[in-house]
Amino acid sequence: MKTRRQGTGDSEGVETREEVRELAEALSLYRSAMTHLAERSTALPRVAVPRRSAPIRFRLLLGPALGAALAAGILLPVYGHLHHHDATVLQAQSVTTPDAASARASVDDTVLMNQIDSQLSETVPDALEPLALSSQSATQSSVSEKKQ
Amino acid sequence: MEEIATTDLAIEKREQAVLELADFDEVVRVYRPRILRFLLASLADSDTAETLTQECFLKAWAARHQFRGESSLSTWLIRIAVNLMRDYLRSRSLRFWQKTRGSSLDVLDISDWVPDGRSSPESLAVARRQVDEVWKAVEKLSAQQRTVFALRFVDEMELDEIAAALCMNLSTVKSHLYRALAIVRERMGGKR
Repeated sequence: MKTRRQGTGDSEGVETREEVRELAEALSLYRSAMTHLAERSTALPRVAVPRRSAPIRFRLLLGPALGAALAAGILLPVYGHLHHHDATVLQAQSVTTPDAASARASVDDTVLMNQIDSQLSETVPDALEPLALSSQSATQSSVSEKKQ
Repeated sequence: MEEIATTDLAIEKREQAVLELADFDEVVRVYRPRILRFLLASLADSDTAETLTQECFLKAWAARHQFRGESSLSTWLIRIAVNLMRDYLRSRSLRFWQKTRGSSLDVLDISDWVPDGRSSPESLAVARRQVDEVWKAVEKLSAQQRTVFALRFVDEMELDEIAAALCMNLSTVKSHLYRALAIVRERMGGKR
């Protein structure tokens, strides 16, 4: 009985030792794989960096240049269109302004001329007024002589 | 007398570590694969591991005057890498795992890097399957368990070094490692 227990214990011990050995081997392999992978990754960037730098340079320098060209291509016609539109509006305004101005001026002139006419008609005496005054005085004197 | 000798040795080690940092190109050449391997094992994302490795050395360069040699140079670099990884995981939080699932290293890629020194194709296949199993098990670990596991079984650091690098108690490191190993053993078909 005791021998059987010992036998079971021994077999369990052997299993455990075998298991530990397998685990140790697996961990060792895992470490080797990670080491190889890290070494490969360490070696790669030194080669990869110049390759990557070209697209980065392209993106850094040509990207903005292309963007600026595109923006100019889009904005210039829009600006041109708007500028043309403004010029047209100004032209239209400049075309319409003389009519309006002349109309306004003509109205102003009419009013002014009327005012001047009215003032002149008031202030300037009638051309025959002196004669009318002298004839009136002459008539009055003859009437008074006849009365006497 | 012994105490004086120990102190002298510690000072000498510190000076050596500081001197080692003076030649930064050499530091990068020697330690970059190690840092990258640790981050690959911890994050399972080659792009992020590459980026954080670069950042780790940039930070080390910026803080090189603060290094006093109180820990070894490798421990100091690992600590920087761990801090960067923590920041990264914190910033990504939930999105991290989605991204990791999307761009993680293919299991076949990992097993392809098993050394091909086997006597037969069958033994190579068995080796690849074992690596696959470990890889899948590591994916299931928590971030801290994975970090401790990677430092112990990939970087082969001593437990006290891990504790120093992670600013953890030795018992906490042991606890994380015990749980991580139990999960890996279970995955490999062993007993918990």
